Amino acid sequence: MNDSEKWDLLLSKALAPEAEPDEKLNQNIINGLKERGRMKRVYRKRVSAGVLVVVFTLVMSFTAYAATQLFNSKQVVEHLGEKDLAQAFDSRDAIEINQTIDSAGYRFTLHGIVSGSGLKGFADTAQGFNPERTYAVVSIARQDGHPMPDTKDPKYGEEPFFVSPLIKGEKPWLVNIVTMHGGYSEFVLDGIMYRLIECDGVEMFADRGAYLAISSGSSFYSNDAFAFNEGTGKISPKAGYKGASIVFDLPLDKTKADHAKADAYLEKLLKELSTGTATAPAASNDESNLANEIEELKRKIPNGKVIPESIQKVSYDNKGNIIYDYDGWHIKILASELFKEGQTGYSDSVQFSGDGKTNKALQFFRDEKGVITGKITILD
Amino acid sequence: MEIDELNDLVKQHGKAIYGFCHKLTGNKADTDDLYQETFLKAMEMLHKMDASHNPKSFLISVAIQLRKNNRRKFAWRRRIAPTVEFKEEVDKICPPDGEASPENAVLSDELRGMIRDAADSLNDKLRIPLYMYYTAEMSVEEIASVLKIPPGTVKSRLFQARKAMKKILEVESL
Repeated sequence: MNDSEKWDLLLSKALAPEAEPDEKLNQNIINGLKERGRMKRVYRKRVSAGVLVVVFTLVMSFTAYAATQLFNSKQVVEHLGEKDLAQAFDSRDAIEINQTIDSAGYRFTLHGIVSGSGLKGFADTAQGFNPERTYAVVSIARQDGHPMPDTKDPKYGEEPFFVSPLIKGEKPWLVNIVTMHGGYSEFVLDGIMYRLIECDGVEMFADRGAYLAISSGSSFYSNDAFAFNEGTGKISPKAGYKGASIVFDLPLDKTKADHAKADAYLEKLLKELSTGTATAPAASNDESNLANEIEELKRKIPNGKVIPESIQKVSYDNKGNIIYDYDGWHIKILASELFKEGQTGYSDSVQFSGDGKTNKALQFFRDEKGVITGKITILD
Repeated sequence: MEIDELNDLVKQHGKAIYGFCHKLTGNKADTDDLYQETFLKAMEMLHKMDASHNPKSFLISVAIQLRKNNRRKFAWRRRIAPTVEFKEEVDKICPPDGEASPENAVLSDELRGMIRDAADSLNDKLRIPLYMYYTAEMSVEEIASVLKIPPGTVKSRLFQARKAMKKILEVESL
């Protein structure tokens, strides 16, 4: 056996697949395939970290419409396959809201919300959702009746939306669905986009007030889209924002507020977010460590190694988004989300990627002529 | 191809596809996601898939494309939440006492771990053909067809991958 054959044999043995799909996973896929046709594809997303530091914008107009032609919360959740949660949305403690607000060509409807006590009776079921969480259903439609892009449509996701509870009195850029360990599932049916969001429970904040905020233009909170009045603690859509920006008041039951629990929760959350206070290892599933990790990675940038080929001027699409493409990175974002008006130098927003061994950071730089350049730095 | 045939593919090629996805992502959670997404995406593209014309290659190409599109998503979660399984694999890597014989019927965990680690350290250009060849057990021609490169280039990349791995392993074994 020559050297080449030996290596071939060695690699065949070492790289042969050991991991196998379990029967349940295969069955899930087969069930999913069988349901093709009657159930359109559902996208489940965790609010991820790459653009956590990015900020965004919008304008709004108020109009109230009945939401009778839309599915209700229970139907939406059923469609997502969450039967137990659907029952929770049908329970006495769930709040069916069905309030609609129009903004920037979109019609947003907050269908309902269930939280805390409304979930307790269902927590031990097979699907086992967490009674300490809050779930809310919203729908997004176009005001002109034009259908929202189906999840199969390449245009799906081109206009991202941020949907999040916000707490009165708390800085919304710190306390929102991302930091509250949230995520969402979404599907499009008959041209209407439905989204089920979930995050840590908001019922404990019932006495101070909570909102359900929605903006377009990004999946993350944008300071351009919302105004926070530090004096009153009120959060409202910001005038002049180019996209959609709306705020629903959540009609939570004040008797279910828990001030002490809420304070403790906020203290923990803000501590997690503060720089350099990460205590949990990177192996934790808890995304609350994300902000700390990001700060930690940011500190490594000056000592990192820049990939020369990655230094590229961005291009622009017809919507004015900057486009940066390099080695699997594809970034499309409005320059205004990276730089304040007139700002030069590096953007505060940094995007990171890692493969478990090496972390990389993508930064954008704007010179005095307004030319924006991206570069990737290897951090480790 | 009909839906029922796609169901059969899950059973027929599931192991190879899953093994390949696992090599790409490195942990169970992302593998499960990528594996499921691969079949769901394939379902949407049924019209492009011909059961008689190498569906495994088609599924592998879907997995590669999805992984490329979702690279940052998968990469992030891997960094945030590496699985115990992945850690264990890394923990296994330690210098062997002696040079292991490739002819051994059973590789030691250490050597297997070192080889996998060396493969993981390659860039995608070399790593993906390597996994397609050894993990998904695809032929050079099949790989060439999926990656849309000439068979000679596939051979060259496999050669380069082996060479790079050999070098890494020799250094590791010192």
